[in-house]
Amino acid sequence: MSLINRIKNRLIAKVITRYPSLAQRFITAYEPRESGEVIPWTPAKKPLNECKLAVVTTSGVHHNGQDPFDMQDSEGDPSFRAINAATINDDYRITHDYYDHSDAEKDLNIVLPLDRLRELQQEGFIGKLADTHYSFMGHIDGRHIATLIGRTAKQVVENLKQDNVDVVLLTPA
Amino acid sequence: MGLIQREIEKAGIATIGISIVREFTEKVQPPRSVFLRWPFGHPLGEPGNVKQQRSVVLESLKALYTISTPGEIIDLPFRWRRHDYSTYVEPDNFVPRDQS
Repeated sequence: MSLINRIKNRLIAKVITRYPSLAQRFITAYEPRESGEVIPWTPAKKPLNECKLAVVTTSGVHHNGQDPFDMQDSEGDPSFRAINAATINDDYRITHDYYDHSDAEKDLNIVLPLDRLRELQQEGFIGKLADTHYSFMGHIDGRHIATLIGRTAKQVVENLKQDNVDVVLLTPA
Repeated sequence: MGLIQREIEKAGIATIGISIVREFTEKVQPPRSVFLRWPFGHPLGEPGNVKQQRSVVLESLKALYTISTPGEIIDLPFRWRRHDYSTYVEPDNFVPRDQS
């Protein structure tokens, strides 16, 4: 994708953030999956104060040292970045041209609320906050929906299971 | 985001998602969602507004335990920039239904 297209996308993102009704035609055109599939269902088995919790966000957050998400592919970047909860607040960037992240750059908690979750852990609401969380870029379309479901989301699922995570909070952009 | 949520839930981990575009969420049908009619890029609210961010997190975690129908979306009552969080009563019962 050309630089001009990227600038155009960022401008559209700024306007849509201010006037959400303008997003309607993008929303109507979005066909993310086949309909008629069963909705997966796994109820929480334990009280929250005995659960390990992780966050998965699609806000395009990543550490400075990690590769930025690929903004050249119009069907998005289905890869993910592992986020270290201990260091992310002092070491992050957001690569995502499809929303205005200037507020999230001031306070990451509005897309990845790790400070709030840590407080809830200290107060005894949550058993344990995971050390590692996961970030995607969102805005995944076309051929990359299959990559996401078949490969990258599966990898994150494996990592969460390895880490004995009981519950996951998902935050969009 | 809902597609990832579905994969995690399918693998046996309970999930709750925050939605800021209700129509997307209705199409994707993740197992559990809370919805806020808020601008893109602000699912937990405004920078520095700790009380607001905390309220959204607590309501999301509560919905993890109260939603009993797959695909349900709970509309949270918080209005963008016009909600008084000082009157918010924090939930305290984050326990599976059969254990409460």
